[in-house]
Amino acid sequence: MKLLSDRRALGAIALLVVALLAPLGLGGWEYGLDVLFLIFLYGAMASSWNLLGGFAGQVSFGHAAFLGIGAYTTAILSARGVPLPFAVVASALLAGVFSLLIGVPAFRLRGPYFSIATIGIGEATRLIALNWTGLTGGASGLTLAEAPTIHVQYYAALALCVVAVLFSVWTKWSRFGLALAAVRQDPDAAETLGVHTTLAKINALFASACLIGAAGSLYAVHYLFVSPDSVFGFSTSIAFVIMPIIGGIGTIAGPIVGAAVYTFIREQFAATLANADLLAFGLLLIAIVVFEPRGIAGIAKRAQRAISKRTEKAAPDAG
Amino acid sequence: MPDSVLRGRGLTKRFGGLTAVSDVDIDVVRGEILGLIGPNGAGKSTLFRLISGVMKPSAGTIELLGKPMTGKSPNAICVAGIAFTHQIVRPLRELSVRENVSVGAAFGRSPRASHAEVHRIVDDVLRFIGLADRADAEARSLTLSGQKRLEIARALATDPAVLLLDEVLAGLNPTETDRTLELIREVRDRGVTIVMVEHNLRAVRSLCSRIVVLVEGHKIVEGAPDAVLSDQRVVDAYLGSAAHA
Repeated sequence: MKLLSDRRALGAIALLVVALLAPLGLGGWEYGLDVLFLIFLYGAMASSWNLLGGFAGQVSFGHAAFLGIGAYTTAILSARGVPLPFAVVASALLAGVFSLLIGVPAFRLRGPYFSIATIGIGEATRLIALNWTGLTGGASGLTLAEAPTIHVQYYAALALCVVAVLFSVWTKWSRFGLALAAVRQDPDAAETLGVHTTLAKINALFASACLIGAAGSLYAVHYLFVSPDSVFGFSTSIAFVIMPIIGGIGTIAGPIVGAAVYTFIREQFAATLANADLLAFGLLLIAIVVFEPRGIAGIAKRAQRAISKRTEKAAPDAG
Repeated sequence: MPDSVLRGRGLTKRFGGLTAVSDVDIDVVRGEILGLIGPNGAGKSTLFRLISGVMKPSAGTIELLGKPMTGKSPNAICVAGIAFTHQIVRPLRELSVRENVSVGAAFGRSPRASHAEVHRIVDDVLRFIGLADRADAEARSLTLSGQKRLEIARALATDPAVLLLDEVLAGLNPTETDRTLELIREVRDRGVTIVMVEHNLRAVRSLCSRIVVLVEGHKIVEGAPDAVLSDQRVVDAYLGSAAHA
């Protein structure tokens, strides 16, 4: 077990080194860097959603609200000349504060009822962005004047992704993570063992929202344009759910793997068949739910078990 | 009552037109095993739910060690020192036995922050309860008797002042029953005050120092086991049907 976790940590460090050096290797190939940027940005988003949806089992269909708040905050602040690092922090905090406002009432609901309420929250924020024209520019959205270089964006997204993953690892092994696992399994039983379940869920939501608010900030400076449909859209909220499910909900690596698959599929279809990616995701989701609800992480685990079984069988022959 | 750890006054719970628990006073003395008996539907489990905060009483007050508990949330009541086991077991199914007990040890009345300390408490409780060899198994893989012991283990890990046991013997075979009775005595000897709802009167008679009888939501008698179990009102209300069977 120790060896296994060490091997995993080594793998993660190796991947990180590759990611750090990738811009050198890719040289001037901007598209490649662009795709990697998106994988890390979406990886950070998926990993953050997973804190609440995976670890605590509270499936939110409204996480676009936090991305949108982050993106709009950055767009509005940068128009007023606020430097990017400050805008990122402000975006994260504002999304976090908003999550507290909605978390308190929303967590009075449970399971599917909570999930349905989050759809309402996501849609409500989209409509506010659409109609509060004075602040948000309404349907025509907001444009940002200038972006940092793609290299700055790339390393910012990578850093955010690393933060989200490290926070997930810490959560998984902490007392906080134990509370979330108990909430996921049986909130009533958790309560009777002294877990303040509402507080645990709100903390998970807050962390998740702050990280996604920061991701929204990077989203805004990457595309230099935010509109209600792009950041607050329901399809964005769905993407948050799809990525961890593809990769393996409630795991550390799953959301990142899911984000890579998601980005790859979307990029494949974006140029050729518009909206065909939605069909691909639909089919993929059906396949996962039917064959391996724990996603790619589940498949990997099965493969690992099969291999270790084979080596166990082989061992007596060798001896 | 002297040295009362847990005190309930005028506890009442109404569900629409039905009064499940009606104006019940209850005192639990430090270090005792108090039996709570009564026919099905007498309101025993409802009374437990009121005490543990799972349900709010329609009227009445609850105090633990002189501190008011009425209307507090279940987690606050657990943290204050009242733990209980579910009549129908509620393991955290996909977590290991160790993790289940860790939740109680990490939160509960004596929350432990450090991994090492949680580990030590959990090891101690698991050894005491006899689940040490199953520590890494998923909770759902345990037998019913194992899951019932897990309920007790989790509750003990919260370091309760008062432990409410809701029919922990139901569904166990005679060997398991004897072992559990022994376990309950040992828990008492560790300094935990116990209130148990139980249908097994042989067990109640051998374990409890006092008995409270509920019938149709009312407390009709309380006192020493022999006196209570031979009381005519109890025989009529509760044992009558069993005696003729």
